[in-house]
Amino acid sequence: MTASRIRLWAAGTAGVLLVLTALLVAMTAGVAIGEMTIPMKTTVAAVTNRLGLTEIAVPRIQEAVIWDYRLSRSLVAAFCGAGLALSGAILQSLLRNPLAEPYVLGISAGASTGAVSVMLLGFGAGAISLSAGAFAGALLAFAFVVMLASGRQTADRTILAGVAASQLFNALTSYIVSTSANAEQARSVMFWLLGSFAGVRWPDVALAASVVSIGLVVCIWHSRALDAFTFGEDAARSLGIAVQRVRIVLLLVTALMTATMVSMVGAIGFVGLVIPHAARFIVGPGHMRLLPACALVGALFMVVADIVSRIIIAPQVLPIGVVTALVGVPFFSVILYRARRVA
Amino acid sequence: MKYGLIAALVALPLTALTSTAFAYPLTIENCGSNVVIDKAPQKAVGLGQNSTEILLMLGLADRMAGSAIWVSPVLPELAADNQKVHRIANSTPNFEAVVAREPDFIAAQFLTSVGPQGRVGTRQQFADLGVPSYVSPTDCAVTDNAASDGARKKMFSMDLLYQEIDELSRMFDVADRGEKLIAEIKAREAAVRARVADKAKDVSLVYWFSSPEVAGDAWVAGKNGASGYITQVLGAKNIVTSEQEWPLIGWEAIAAEDPTVIVIGTMDRRNQPADDPVAKRQFLITDPVVSKLDAVEKGHIVEMDAQAMNPTIRTITGLETVAASLESFGLLK
Repeated sequence: MTASRIRLWAAGTAGVLLVLTALLVAMTAGVAIGEMTIPMKTTVAAVTNRLGLTEIAVPRIQEAVIWDYRLSRSLVAAFCGAGLALSGAILQSLLRNPLAEPYVLGISAGASTGAVSVMLLGFGAGAISLSAGAFAGALLAFAFVVMLASGRQTADRTILAGVAASQLFNALTSYIVSTSANAEQARSVMFWLLGSFAGVRWPDVALAASVVSIGLVVCIWHSRALDAFTFGEDAARSLGIAVQRVRIVLLLVTALMTATMVSMVGAIGFVGLVIPHAARFIVGPGHMRLLPACALVGALFMVVADIVSRIIIAPQVLPIGVVTALVGVPFFSVILYRARRVA
Repeated sequence: MKYGLIAALVALPLTALTSTAFAYPLTIENCGSNVVIDKAPQKAVGLGQNSTEILLMLGLADRMAGSAIWVSPVLPELAADNQKVHRIANSTPNFEAVVAREPDFIAAQFLTSVGPQGRVGTRQQFADLGVPSYVSPTDCAVTDNAASDGARKKMFSMDLLYQEIDELSRMFDVADRGEKLIAEIKAREAAVRARVADKAKDVSLVYWFSSPEVAGDAWVAGKNGASGYITQVLGAKNIVTSEQEWPLIGWEAIAAEDPTVIVIGTMDRRNQPADDPVAKRQFLITDPVVSKLDAVEKGHIVEMDAQAMNPTIRTITGLETVAASLESFGLLK
């Protein structure tokens, strides 16, 4: 190892530790902050009680709020942010398009179509849940985009396919809603287009944790292949990479992660787009470092965004997608502007 | 003295009615514009279930050319009359479908249907065809907000509904029927007030209409809507302080307020899973936090027609339902 590489490695480790610490602080804040005023002592006791470490007497409703609402919500937000950022990074590399991300590619639109099909058309005759419908819809939209965009890839084709998919599935959703939904004053069925962490509980944590962990491992496993993809498929092939197999595996993993997230919390835009660019700006384009960085920064971003969404107009809740865009766009603009000056 | 005052109060609106009724052309200030009626409508269209139900209650079925925007089945006592009225659409109809009925009057429940961004058409569009339109005063008081159900700066009051009944009945030249209907509802409200008196001061309520997802944040009644009015008549407290009609509130915030009674809306609509009252009840008794609330553990859960939670002719029934439930729970003390 040369001195410069050691320095780089040390800087990287310090960076990871920094983000990890920030993530822990943010998650602690996520657990401590809420509409119910709960003393910090009770908050800590509630967590240690449930972990079986202590048996401190605390009001049971407060304990349940800490453990069943706030902690599970914080964890799902973290995994969700990690999963979406990771999906964005993979799609951007694989499709060689800086704009690729699940939201832009119409996957969330597919999820909402799936959800309203189950709810309003009665697909699955009550046997499948709304989440399962959203999951299937997301996969369908994803398959549609990949099918349209595969073959000789140009940057515009992917985005065009995504735009087409979004339009198609949004139109289908509107069609189903206007033909099947009962009349109502102003509300629409559009939860799937805005996103919310309000309904998540512990079973969701388990699901999100396992899907994102598997996704992260598989993606990191392929990080060298992803590096090669940066130079195009031909270059990757000449480096001895099974291009077709890698593509299919990584697209499947991305689809799985995205569909799981969307079916759980609805579509949350911008994370998959912004975080990979931010992470690339910090750690460079090498996927071995980029992918874990994306996961960590994505998790941090989402946990903070969730806290903001809960306190900004309390006791009402701002849709999380609004926060990610409001916080994300200025942040992204700074990155773009600085990148322009560097170039 | 006391009786004299009541007599004066009762007589005041009555004289106001009789002086203007039967005088066509009739001009009524409605929702910021004037409605001019040359003669009593013979082919009215009701846009919005409540407007239609009021017209049916006034015995005007044979003077209606159609109805649309239905949230649930018609009130049972109006079913036979409603059969006679052509249903244009269950949901929001388009402009031509309404015009095709050749209406001579539009009675709309919501500004979202005929307001400046009216989904059916604007009032001006109808006026251009010589069709006068009337919007429920209960909805005019709501600030329109496309992203939600709007907000209400001033508490809803049954007076707005009485005004609607009164104005519609005068326009249709059946002012006497309107007076009778208003008197009936007033008597029912007075009966509840007498029964509850100030015995529900320690009761706090939350009205759960529906939710985008069952376990997620809930659409609950804001302080100034019809549900807020019910709570006020009962002398109880609504735990939500938002001016919005149906703010989206998290269960942690609801748990923090620890309501004495949870009122859940029943409806035929199934646009969201939480529209189903069974799903609502299931959530209340299984959620790790909400199931531990006093109201849930003691079974202080009331089911109420969701339309009664909005300003409608059914609000009075909602008031009676909640009052009777509080009594049966032993919460009136």
